[in-house]
Amino acid sequence: MTEQKRTVAIHVPVLARVEGEGALDLRIEDGDIRQLRLRIFEPPRYFEKFIEGRHYTEIPDMVARICGICPVAYQVTAAQAFEKLFGVELSPWARAMRRVFYCGEWIQSHSLHIHLLAAPDFFGCGNAIELARIAPDEVRRGLHIQGLGNELMDLFGARSVHPVGVRIGGFHGAPSLARIEAMRDKLRAALPEAEALIRWAAAIPMPPDDQAFVSVGMHHPDRYAIETGDIAASDGLLIGAEAYDEHFAEQHELHSTALFSTYHGKPYLVGPLARLNLNRDRLPANVQALLDDVGFELPSRNIFHSLLARAVEILLALQEALRLLDAYEVPDSPWGPVTPRAGIATGCTEAPRGLLWHRYEMDGDGRVVNARIVPPTSQNQGRIEEDLRLSLLNFGLDHPDEALRLHCEKIIRNYDPCISCATHFLCLNVERT
Amino acid sequence: MLILGIGSPSGDDQAGWLVANALKEMGADSIAGVVVDKLDRPGANLVARFESANHVVLIDAMQSGDAIGTIRRFGQQDWPAYRGGLSSHGFGVLAALVLARELGSLPGRVDLYGIEIAAASPGDPPGEAIRTAVQQLARQIANELFEPPPA
Repeated sequence: MTEQKRTVAIHVPVLARVEGEGALDLRIEDGDIRQLRLRIFEPPRYFEKFIEGRHYTEIPDMVARICGICPVAYQVTAAQAFEKLFGVELSPWARAMRRVFYCGEWIQSHSLHIHLLAAPDFFGCGNAIELARIAPDEVRRGLHIQGLGNELMDLFGARSVHPVGVRIGGFHGAPSLARIEAMRDKLRAALPEAEALIRWAAAIPMPPDDQAFVSVGMHHPDRYAIETGDIAASDGLLIGAEAYDEHFAEQHELHSTALFSTYHGKPYLVGPLARLNLNRDRLPANVQALLDDVGFELPSRNIFHSLLARAVEILLALQEALRLLDAYEVPDSPWGPVTPRAGIATGCTEAPRGLLWHRYEMDGDGRVVNARIVPPTSQNQGRIEEDLRLSLLNFGLDHPDEALRLHCEKIIRNYDPCISCATHFLCLNVERT
Repeated sequence: MLILGIGSPSGDDQAGWLVANALKEMGADSIAGVVVDKLDRPGANLVARFESANHVVLIDAMQSGDAIGTIRRFGQQDWPAYRGGLSSHGFGVLAALVLARELGSLPGRVDLYGIEIAAASPGDPPGEAIRTAVQQLARQIANELFEPPPA
């Protein structure tokens, strides 16, 4: 099969591991922002084409490669979409382990972001290495927690190079009781560290910021939504994943190859702060008490609280993983039988960065006719632009370009988009007249 | 001893993985105390992997303008010269090593090998040009494993 090679008019693909994948075009005229355009590269778009024609059994492995940091989110979302269409009922064991698996990714991703990407900004450090010099214990704690998240993912075979974790109908393998018991001990030992992390994060002085935005995230009747639930918005919306297209639209913006997401025509926020804004009362009682203790008021309109929100979700994920691994038993089979059906498969989960939505059109042989993958980063793009515009006006435009660039990076990093992992990822093009 | 092939599923950026595969085929991981593994865009996760290893060998693709297939070895004192390394979202191998050093969790010995590549297109298989270099480097590392040079 020959394919047209797509030309991408952006700097460098994220998947090629080169720095500088985000670009901000700023046009300032007479001290006013005439134009502000953010360009973000979207790795999932390449994969939508690669997936066409593939058998559903291949999809979890393929989508896991979209994101080196969040393979679980992509695997689980895809698997759940197919399971819903094919009428597959997961065993209680598999349902629980999907959530544990996902907790591992939240823990790993959030801890990485807090300590290596975001925190340096708030301690006057240019990068994590400088932060490690002034706060080595905190950075070490963060790396330890991050490592636990990796271990949790590894339990289910989440080797990112050849991911073998999820399969449609369950998992490829079940960890032994001995491995689970060892994991439980480590998780339990990490709980005080996670609490200390929340206290440390809550004590970091954050810039005062107050913006109006709609929070969008998943919502579940009796737990904090991670891998299952409906889609909710802070204006009262509550819909199933299959109704996503009726309220959320993607439009192609001329300045970017990225697709621009809107909710009823407007930008919106996904991610940890959006989730906490919608689901505070679904947190375990002790976590809610801790939030009261440190004075974290929700809902919050200050995007800088995202760092603290991630710390809260780390504790939540540790506790959930422990709860679900309690009384663990190796199942008779880690997966159940599957018979494909033709139709439209939709699924969504909460990736570390926010709502992730998949839609697959399937033929009768279980092959993908077409795929749409909407990652959290593209859903936040409109909100990030809105935020940048307001924040820059607040900051003042009469600063050197370098100062503007640093300020913009700090704002963007709150959203933890796929591009924010570079210390200096932003290519700022300023035109002044 | 921990041997880590670092890469991403993008064409020649799989060079590190190919070296790890070749080493396994040569029986490297059947030697007592030797672990061979592959990592996909590990970023800062790399730091956590160093724990409990006293000797780490890292193999990664690089783009520094050298001829394709050139192999370079970087000891700790040479790290500043390792500018051509591709970085996963900006936090690459070098940053991970420096962070580990800052935290005092660097293994006693770290050897970093770079294989010069041309391009790394998402989803592509690795190209022929680097396959020779991969075999060469794997043999080089394996030789040291099976017959360590005198101290």
